[in-house]
Amino acid sequence: MSRSGRWILCAYLVYLVLPLYWLFSMAISSNADIVGEFNAFPAAPTLANFAEIFSNPVWYQAFGNSLTYVFINTLISLAVAIPAAYAFSRYRFLGDKQLFFWLLTNRMAPPAVFLLPFFQLYSAIGLFDTPLAVALAHCLFTVPLSVWILEGFFSGVPTELDEMAQLDGHSFGYFFLRVFLPINRGAIGVTLFFCFMFSWVELLLARTLSGAEAKPIVVVMTRTVSASGLDWGVLAAAGVLTVLPGVLVVWFVRKDLVKGFALGRVS
Amino acid sequence: MSSIELKNLRFCYPGADEDTLSDLNLQIANGEAHALLGASGAGKTTLLNLLSGLLVPTAGQVLFDGRDVSELPGRERAVAQVFQFPVLYEAMSVAENLAFPLRNRGLDAEAISARVAYVSDELELGDRLARKATSLSLFEKQLVAVGKALMRPDVSLVLLDEPLTAVEPRIKWRLRQTLRKVQADLGVTMIYVTHDQTEALTFADRVSVLTADGIVQTGSPREVYQSPAQEFVGHFVGSPGMNFIPANVLQTVPGDRAGFRPEWASIDPGGQLAGSVGRVSLLGTRGGVAEGLVTVFTEHGEVNVRGPVEVQEGDAVGIRVDRYVAFANELRIAEGELA
Amino acid sequence: MSYKPQNNRAWLGVLPVLLIVAFSAVVPLMTVINYSVQDILDFNTRFFVGFEWYVQTLNDERFIEAFGRQLAFSFTVLALEIPLGIAVARGIPKNSRLTPLILIVLALPLLIPWNVVGTIWQIFARSDIGLLGVAINAMGISYNYTSEPLHAWLTLVAMDVWHWTSLVALLAFAGLTAIPQPYYQAAELDGASSWQVLRYVELPRLRGVLIIAVLLRLMDSFMIYTEPFVLTGGGPGNTTTFLSQYLATMAVGQFDLGPAAAFSVIYFLFILLFCWLFYQSVVKRDEETP
Repeated sequence: MSRSGRWILCAYLVYLVLPLYWLFSMAISSNADIVGEFNAFPAAPTLANFAEIFSNPVWYQAFGNSLTYVFINTLISLAVAIPAAYAFSRYRFLGDKQLFFWLLTNRMAPPAVFLLPFFQLYSAIGLFDTPLAVALAHCLFTVPLSVWILEGFFSGVPTELDEMAQLDGHSFGYFFLRVFLPINRGAIGVTLFFCFMFSWVELLLARTLSGAEAKPIVVVMTRTVSASGLDWGVLAAAGVLTVLPGVLVVWFVRKDLVKGFALGRVS
Repeated sequence: MSSIELKNLRFCYPGADEDTLSDLNLQIANGEAHALLGASGAGKTTLLNLLSGLLVPTAGQVLFDGRDVSELPGRERAVAQVFQFPVLYEAMSVAENLAFPLRNRGLDAEAISARVAYVSDELELGDRLARKATSLSLFEKQLVAVGKALMRPDVSLVLLDEPLTAVEPRIKWRLRQTLRKVQADLGVTMIYVTHDQTEALTFADRVSVLTADGIVQTGSPREVYQSPAQEFVGHFVGSPGMNFIPANVLQTVPGDRAGFRPEWASIDPGGQLAGSVGRVSLLGTRGGVAEGLVTVFTEHGEVNVRGPVEVQEGDAVGIRVDRYVAFANELRIAEGELA
Repeated sequence: MSYKPQNNRAWLGVLPVLLIVAFSAVVPLMTVINYSVQDILDFNTRFFVGFEWYVQTLNDERFIEAFGRQLAFSFTVLALEIPLGIAVARGIPKNSRLTPLILIVLALPLLIPWNVVGTIWQIFARSDIGLLGVAINAMGISYNYTSEPLHAWLTLVAMDVWHWTSLVALLAFAGLTAIPQPYYQAAELDGASSWQVLRYVELPRLRGVLIIAVLLRLMDSFMIYTEPFVLTGGGPGNTTTFLSQYLATMAVGQFDLGPAAAFSVIYFLFILLFCWLFYQSVVKRDEETP
């Protein structure tokens, strides 16, 4: 490993951490301190902003709403993408290449394009303002991405494995659930990470498809304007809290993540 | 080309309790083809990395032509290595691959192309020079990797790390022959690391047997085969390995155990050992007589005998031993013929 | 490439994906295309207008300007993020106790909601109360991203680099860890420089992940909406208004459904075109080098 590489990494990590530090520093400062005189370090650290969030149901319900649709979305994405990726990786079938490319094109559709039709569609079928609506809408990009990632991983698993299981007299279901999926833990970890990531961070669709009931955290955050203007401190505290689920996910899949990345379609 | 010497070499991975290699001594002559034979876990890879400069010894020295290179990084040692699988620059053509190590040393273009021509000719790769490395067969790729290792005219040492691993079984022999030929033609000092005793014995001028205790024997393939320094060597070298029985069974033999090669024994009703034939495997014929390996179950365990096969499974037979190596506490103390 | 048997029953495996994507993409897309050829006064009063909205959009100066800005932005951030991501990935130690920690820290920006990203930078870069803004001004450079278009641009680019370089770095690191150690050893013994190792050992083997990285970044940077919306609101003036934002203003703000729909279709087609062009150029080169 070259020494210059180390320096670039260190410099980049500093660049990466500084804004995060600033977010954290704001989260433990009062609003007056934030908009008042500039301070590189919090003048009077306080947990008041966090206390505000935990005592206000609007905040923690929104948190729950967001986690709900992210969870549903990840579940749906994996459930439909795994069989599809297996089919793409193992068989040729009528229109397979066209279908794969068409799937990918959906990943390229700007959410802004779909705002209005989504609104109408989900209103018409009575899903508007439910976590399910957002979860389904997010499938627009998480499903194609999941198929894409998983197909790459699955293709890397030798087909001899499938044949061996058949020779051993196992049913396809047994092979798939007990042999194939455990081997691809890493791949599923990576996919989970990406589904979570893209669904959790999205604002545009989440905002459009939720009203008062299923309001997600990202939307509540855009509306922290009180009589005295923006409450930066509470906003920053909420921001800090929104990072935590992601950190937890990464922490739990960290081993699979490194392994999964390493085994992916890389050569 | 250089002579290589390892002096009291010791290596311990940082944080490990025990030395991976301790107090290793070895001398390899200039232009010698040397095989390092060892089971996995014996520290072959570590030793290889110490030679190539990837690792720095904890203590002791690595000497090239008497010069201490222990601390020198690999690029300054004039060492080349061939790996278990072909390691090539995939975006380059065969000729570019071959030229790469020389170009980095600032040789002029004419000298480089002359050397490329020479080495590719030696390996019969001449018609492949313009091809992309990725388009070759596994065998050809490994051949190019060997060629790349031989490119530097001033190369001190070429390391071969189980180079036949990735090659198909039926071509292994061919690649080994090629290796042997270029080694002889170019007179390069080579160290061939392997766990396969056949490869080691057929390739090298001299063989060192490496175990977790260090190098237990160094000698010509014949010496290592005929006079193993330890019971382990007798057991490990040869296919099948040496037979071992209590020394007193052969009466005049000293020590506690006697070892003999399958071809040092023959089926003979008047032999020192008796047992029943367990397995017979035929290897061919000689002078119209079937030849092969007879495994006999005796009261001292299985004994393999190589020679004419005129018995069948289940027959009660005697075994005569003509030659032996005697061991005491697993170390060789004597050897000789039996009348 | 391993042989794949022909089996049309594999469609069964693909069917669920097909249904869900048809529901979440095809139906809305049909709606959009339907709107794009109509003049919609209200939902009960519509006229068929053919390609009028398409012609209008392609001649709309604001669309063309937003499109130009979009191109400039996408190519700038790609040109920065891809090399930087590779450089960062090369610096990550492969087998250190610090490795998992570094990877998690790198993943942080990816896990932050996009409006929070915008908010962080909105404050961080402010010249009166933000660490970055104050620091730059303290160095004697007058910097104010809310009034200076150039500064707004640089801040946006800095934010996007901050936000997304990690994705490239993580993918590239995954690719790097898959390169067997002997390749590095051989390069060392061949006397290859760090640059040559990158050029001849690493980049050829990173191709797969880099294609993924470039495609993802190309798509996503072309769709960027939330972060600039929060950071600059498209300003000062329209100088940081990109396609998505212009579209949202049209569709939701002004309720110009027909033109917005035509805009959407054109927008979508352009992204498709760019990705297809990139993909083709890569695949072509693949076929030329056997």
